[in-house]
Amino acid sequence: MEHTAVSPLAAMSRAAEDPTGYVEQWKARTGGRAIAAFPMNFPAEIAHAAGLLPVIVQEDRNPITLGNNLLSEFNCGYSRNLADQAATGRLDAYDGFFMADHCIQLIGAADVIRELTAGRRFYFGQLISSMNDPWTTDQARLTMTDFVDELSSFAGVQITDERLRESIKTYNRGRRLLRALYEQRRSGDSRFTSGELQTMVKSSMVMQREEHNALLEELVAQSSAAPRDDRVRVHLSGHFCHAPKPELLEVIEESGGIVVDDDLFHGARYISTDADESGSPVDALVGQYLDRNVNIPCPTRAQSDVDWDTYLLNAVHSSGAEVVISLLVKYCEPHMLYLPELRKALEAKGIPHLLLETEHEGMPLETMRTRIEAMFEQAKRSRTLTRVPTA
Amino acid sequence: MASLLEDKSNRLRMTGRGGELVGAYWDELFTARERGAQVVWYNGHALNPLFQAAGISWCHGEAFSARLAAQHLEGPAQLAGEEYGYVNELCSYSRTHLGCAVLTNDFGESETGIVDTVDQRELASRLPEPDFFVNGYQGCSTGQQWDQMSYRILGKKVPIFTLSLPYMFGSKPDAGYLVGEEWETATDYVVDQLEKLIEFLEVQTGRPFDHDKLGEIMSYIKAASQLRREAMALCMAKPAPATYWDWVASIAHINFMPAEQRLIDYFQGVKDEVADRLASGVAGVADERYRLYFDGIMNWNKLGWLARKFADADAAVICGRYTHQNFWQEPQLIDPENPLRGLAQHYLLCSNSQGFKTLKQAMTKDCDDYGIDGVIFHASRTCRAYTNHQHLLARVAENQLGIPTAFFEGDIADAAFYKDEILETRLAALLETIDAKRARN
Repeated sequence: MEHTAVSPLAAMSRAAEDPTGYVEQWKARTGGRAIAAFPMNFPAEIAHAAGLLPVIVQEDRNPITLGNNLLSEFNCGYSRNLADQAATGRLDAYDGFFMADHCIQLIGAADVIRELTAGRRFYFGQLISSMNDPWTTDQARLTMTDFVDELSSFAGVQITDERLRESIKTYNRGRRLLRALYEQRRSGDSRFTSGELQTMVKSSMVMQREEHNALLEELVAQSSAAPRDDRVRVHLSGHFCHAPKPELLEVIEESGGIVVDDDLFHGARYISTDADESGSPVDALVGQYLDRNVNIPCPTRAQSDVDWDTYLLNAVHSSGAEVVISLLVKYCEPHMLYLPELRKALEAKGIPHLLLETEHEGMPLETMRTRIEAMFEQAKRSRTLTRVPTA
Repeated sequence: MASLLEDKSNRLRMTGRGGELVGAYWDELFTARERGAQVVWYNGHALNPLFQAAGISWCHGEAFSARLAAQHLEGPAQLAGEEYGYVNELCSYSRTHLGCAVLTNDFGESETGIVDTVDQRELASRLPEPDFFVNGYQGCSTGQQWDQMSYRILGKKVPIFTLSLPYMFGSKPDAGYLVGEEWETATDYVVDQLEKLIEFLEVQTGRPFDHDKLGEIMSYIKAASQLRREAMALCMAKPAPATYWDWVASIAHINFMPAEQRLIDYFQGVKDEVADRLASGVAGVADERYRLYFDGIMNWNKLGWLARKFADADAAVICGRYTHQNFWQEPQLIDPENPLRGLAQHYLLCSNSQGFKTLKQAMTKDCDDYGIDGVIFHASRTCRAYTNHQHLLARVAENQLGIPTAFFEGDIADAAFYKDEILETRLAALLETIDAKRARN
């Protein structure tokens, strides 16, 4: 993809690929403290308001060595990679650890990290995951308030409503910029590849937000719309915690597909929902947490009045995607539980669906390529038969 | 050890008789519809005292899956789940139970081509369709989502209540076993959740909840639990008069049987038999030479097999996380006059809902109390809640307690993951290590 804004994207790419390097430089430059946060719903705005650098720990590219002796091989690759990062000192740049989500595999990794980084604060404030009970809002508010207290205490800073509101505005700004790019992609603009968009979202989880927002604005200003070609339009689905490997995204595009929408954590899911900027900032973060699961339902939450499959059908209709590729992180149980519902819904609407299982290491890319190519061939034949417009 | 020529396990006679109680419970559940009783499907913690007090028949999803696996009847349900689309790396309890939900929903003939129609009818007719769901999971996030899927499979028509329970990670500085701000706050919160559940039950049954009945039920459970713990404590003796497998065989009773005098009688019988054995020098394993601690959830497909396998190697499995750190294990917390607090605290105490700090302390205490020589870890393939901390616990056993450890692979309810040869060689290696350590000392 040709575009002129190489520098901002390169800066984002460096942070996305080497978060530890970015954190070390940021700490050296600012004298500030950085915390490691974990997917999926940690309220980073609160840490930001405390003057901390909140970084969502990314799956890195290192092979898992010691991590396989700390968690079982049938834990997801991300949790084993986190354990490996802790065991090999790759989390040493972080001054503390904060987590808000109850995933049993993530909790396994959290306990490993706590054990191996003794002396550093590890706080788990568990956000209620039953989302539509009469008491959900109150309970989520208690947890958010706990985070305010804990992070205030950790940073030695009083997090006032005013500071928190400013942080919310900063984060909202970044999300709005990213959402605009995603909306343009849905509407037929292909100026950025799926890999580049992933870099933007991933780096937003790592970089100081003001800096990232400035880079985003520069990048948008330097780029111009590029009409989409006639490749098969793909909706990418799944991966709730870490990013799919860029080489997999490349294989999809090399095989004749173009990603027009997604519900990935490193994608539309993460940037889907803003917090209100006017009222109580804690209430705003609670509202954001609850609304996010309505905007893009997540199978890690329990909510009986929204469905991921319904959302997916609407998203496919809205973007004009021709096929759905589910990226299932091997051993991810929420995704495994929900897959049959997705399959049923997509089959009922005649939407082709391909399931690809991803792993930290040893992903059979060429096998995947063959399956993806076969799916795209079918989709193209289907176009001929149904005379579907190509863009 | 390749073939088992002699059964050296000496299981308690009482647990065999206890099977009648369990059978009667299931028969009663299976005929609930004929009796006009309401049925709840629930998962997670032992919420059955509340259902019993409300006059509802209850089916514990994990227990039903475990029962099928223990009777080697899990195949058709798991096959139905697989056909529906569940990947075999998913929790096999949930796959089995969801497979039953698929069959119950009468997808049968149209959507399942593999599951034999006789099996379909059998499973579907045996497990009565629920009037409502109650989810009470805490440690395992998968458990909460499992009921969300059951809810969807049954067409989103069956009311569902989700009890929200906090994982006891131990974030606060004073956090500890039965102590600290987190413990007190969490207890208050869960009591509040239980009150909300009671309101839900009142709506579903159309009757006021019988609080007096709940107090009476909890008094039975308290007495039964005290007897169970006392009987367990008798097994600190060498040789141990009963083994882990006996406590496994009594899980159904303490975990979801109706709480009544028969429950107390059962555990009184268990305790009496253990005491008699102790008095007469009868051991749970004929030639006890090794005393092991079992970490992990049970492999229900292999209960009898594993009991014989370990006994064949003169290894008495004395205690374990699953049996000894669960199931009303702190009966002094139960106050029949104020039963909700004791219920709440036992839900919080479930060992797969505890962070490593507490688990380490509990394993260390059990290994010390029971004179343990080695720890065997059951790496249950599809139960991450029970395998999460095993490698950390192994490090504690090896490095801090000086106790050798070994892992073997299996699963809770999917026999395909059990590898007998792996257990064979690793158990032999563990016992040799214990021998070598003894020789050195």
